[in-house]
Amino acid sequence: MVSLHRTIRNMRRVGLREWWRQMQYIGDAKSGVLVGKDQFGNRYYENMNAEEEVPGRQRWVDFAQHEYHASQVPPEWHSWISHIRKDPPTNDSVIKNMTPPWQTPWVENLTGTRGAFKTYNTAAPKINAWEPKTISRGA
Amino acid sequence: MSFARQALQVGLSSRIRLSPTLASAAIRSAVAQRRLLHSTRCAHASLPKDDTEHYTESLHSDMKLLHGRYQETPLYADLNSKEYVQKFKSGERALDKAVHLFFLTEIMRGMWIVIENFFRPPYTIMYPFEKGPLSPRFRGEHALRRYPSGEERCIACKLCEAICPAQAITIESEPRLDGSRRTTKYDIDMTKCIYCGFCQEACPVDAIVETQNQEFSTETREELLYNKEKLLANGDRAEAEIAANLHADHVYR
Repeated sequence: MVSLHRTIRNMRRVGLREWWRQMQYIGDAKSGVLVGKDQFGNRYYENMNAEEEVPGRQRWVDFAQHEYHASQVPPEWHSWISHIRKDPPTNDSVIKNMTPPWQTPWVENLTGTRGAFKTYNTAAPKINAWEPKTISRGA
Repeated sequence: MSFARQALQVGLSSRIRLSPTLASAAIRSAVAQRRLLHSTRCAHASLPKDDTEHYTESLHSDMKLLHGRYQETPLYADLNSKEYVQKFKSGERALDKAVHLFFLTEIMRGMWIVIENFFRPPYTIMYPFEKGPLSPRFRGEHALRRYPSGEERCIACKLCEAICPAQAITIESEPRLDGSRRTTKYDIDMTKCIYCGFCQEACPVDAIVETQNQEFSTETREELLYNKEKLLANGDRAEAEIAANLHADHVYR
């Protein structure tokens, strides 16, 4: 429990329904500006008011999935939520210019599932089994 | 001791005396001021600084004695000398001092710190919803980059393999069909890697980089033996972030 005043204030701002959702996931009543939404439906919020949020808690994500995981945040939004970049990728000109056309969609960490990475050899094998070649006798 | 107890009383009584008389804003600022100040004080501050010279005078090294700069006095002062004992004749008894220090005021001062921090907002970051700040130079999971045309950057010079202090990188190369030299095998054992960043420093074409991704933990050890396809896939997904970080950092290089 952070403080009763803060909880009631944020609950009045975001509404009961959103507050209940926040208590199920973040575990704290937070209110801020909706900065954007990524391709997976995760919503990103920001509250830069220094009297309402301590440093480090100013940017947060509301995951779309119930089975949430930190790696569900795509790299562009990851650099925003980790305070690497000031602007969100929706209006960051550097991120927009640096995105190549061949960039592939982000995949979350799939360990523990059937989609987990299984390593393999990319080079041709150097030791091969002997393949006997018989030459037929001239008849 | 008595000093600490006085400070504690002053802190409490000033808050109580202020509260009914002044306006609410003044009370809040006074309470905030009180909260921001730490109530614990250095115990040495109450001790008088009188004859510290006296102690240092009798301590010389043998080297100075050898050169004859000081007269020959014993290295340690006689602890049973009259003036040394005289200093401890007056004042509190050692037992009273110990009782005050260790049993009463220590506990009260400790509890006061607990109470102070109980009413302060916590600094807990609710990971994974909120994340702490990272540097653009943060060294996380590795990736192999491509040129904007889509051509892979790595030219199999093996400088990263040579500089790697953990010897986590294995490279084999062959000329491609068009004659350019490329890697056929680029393996990084992420269980060996110490994330020192020497590989991305050594790379002449910015091919191997460490991305800001730190959430790549796996359930089995085999998943951390990355091969070239996995590293290229990492680079293809995070290219915008990698390029933006290099762009932010290029003025310092």
